[in-house]
Amino acid sequence: MNTTDFLSIANAICPDRDCIVFEGKRWTYVQINERVNQLVNALTRLGVEKSDRIGMLHVNCNQYIETYYAAAKLGAIFVPLNFRAKADELAYMIGNAEVKVLFVGNRYLDMVNTILPQLPTVKECISVEGGAALTYEDLIRTASSDEIFTDIGDDDITILMYTSGTTGRPKGVPLRHNAFVTYVLDNVDPASPEIEERNLLTVPLYHVAGIQAMLAAIYGGRTLVLLRQFEVKEWMGMIQREQATRAMLVPTMLKRVIDDPDFSNYNLSSLKVITYGAAPMPFEVISKAIQVMPWARFINAFGQTETASTITTLGPEDHIIEGTEEERQKKLKRLTSSIGRPLPDVEVKIVDEEGNTLSFSQVGEILARGPRVMTGYWKDEQKTGEVMTSEGWLRTGDMGWMDEEGYIYLSGRADDMIIRGGENISPEEVEDVLHSYLKIEEAAVIGIPDPEWGQELRAVVVLKKGEEATSEEIIEHCRSKLAGFKRPRSVAFIEALPRSAMGKVLRKKLREQYGQS
Amino acid sequence: MSQLGKRYRCTVCGTEILCTKAGEGVVVCCDKEMEVQEPKPLPSSD
Repeated sequence: MNTTDFLSIANAICPDRDCIVFEGKRWTYVQINERVNQLVNALTRLGVEKSDRIGMLHVNCNQYIETYYAAAKLGAIFVPLNFRAKADELAYMIGNAEVKVLFVGNRYLDMVNTILPQLPTVKECISVEGGAALTYEDLIRTASSDEIFTDIGDDDITILMYTSGTTGRPKGVPLRHNAFVTYVLDNVDPASPEIEERNLLTVPLYHVAGIQAMLAAIYGGRTLVLLRQFEVKEWMGMIQREQATRAMLVPTMLKRVIDDPDFSNYNLSSLKVITYGAAPMPFEVISKAIQVMPWARFINAFGQTETASTITTLGPEDHIIEGTEEERQKKLKRLTSSIGRPLPDVEVKIVDEEGNTLSFSQVGEILARGPRVMTGYWKDEQKTGEVMTSEGWLRTGDMGWMDEEGYIYLSGRADDMIIRGGENISPEEVEDVLHSYLKIEEAAVIGIPDPEWGQELRAVVVLKKGEEATSEEIIEHCRSKLAGFKRPRSVAFIEALPRSAMGKVLRKKLREQYGQS
Repeated sequence: MSQLGKRYRCTVCGTEILCTKAGEGVVVCCDKEMEVQEPKPLPSSD
């Protein structure tokens, strides 16, 4: 089985149900399947073959999902690109993936045009909304809607997704059909003529959680209500208007919803399941959310790109704080810091620095194994060797411990990745930009606690001798070279960075001295 | 009669199938009529 079967199955069971709702337009499953087939035929005409890479640079929209399915039906590899990336970052990802056909939203066309000369593999650049020579709707309008069948193996790669690494450049994570199929078949009920669910999707589709939610929705015959991006009042209005039953939020979004002064003016009682994840959830946020939305069931889902999204969940029953005082304390502790228990098809263990399995309550690195875990990074044996063991375990980079009932608790990153609003940010990447500023001798970037974003970036900077600089000018320097979410929000000036005997910057020491907000 | 969108499970070998087009026949595996599965309660993490 592969992910294209999800669409075929739902199309057979609930053909006339709305599949996608986006900006006032609605498409049924039959209509989406037809548009996907038209795109498949159009891409075939453009010379796309099995295993070719098809890039997408845009916010969430119906064409995003159609393009994924068209790529999948062709056995091609879909490459969703972070729309917040700057030109240099994009050029790297598109070049590294050797994208052949690139779909681009209007707002990104100018930037893409500046980097296209560096990207010889890109044969076609297609404008999603119009505005370029080749446009999406023109492409499919003249194409046949006949089904094309391609031989697709369970282990074929369906998505190449880029994730931030600790050593600068984003890493390509190839994800196989089987990684998603295993999850969806184990966890999601298939489409049913009697059960109608509506999922409001605001998590970006370049993020693995967005892709997982999209695939689960299609298999489940759910209606996917899309928002280009999260905006709190638009989100609440859409829940109310479409009577959405499910939504996924990162903690930052959930906080904005429950803190909004107009929260009580919206009827959000249709929401039955709210999933959150991608960053630590402040206790005060989740406890308030439970209190103000007592009709919803909450699930904390934990995973990463390398595991094709969710590997552990803290379920709805863990969000109900009741029982004896001892039970209440145990549940409160779980709600505060546990990411729940591994899903049935995932093996998880906690190991020390030598790779020895640790017993309950001992802190070590969390390792995962199973059909959803990647087998290695795209064209990068060195980085693959750093995270994959010879027995197929993935080193997640997260530190944690397990209690006697199998609940896992996070205790920080094994590396120094900063997670701001659910986005992984590599300090090295930001430091490279800081180092390009002529007045800076050396710099390190650390995450500091932030009630809104979970973490914010602080640059710790050593100026060159005789130089003077302000925080503002350093932040301004970063503005033009980095995606907004990667820009440091504060700067600390010091005499010298603390380093180990081997010359490595001691980030832990920096966090201890400068890591408070 | 088989039912559209229903999952059937073989009580002998454990095979599960999903009906994507309903018809007059019954669904049989290991010489036994397969059982209709009930949907799971609401949550899945998406």
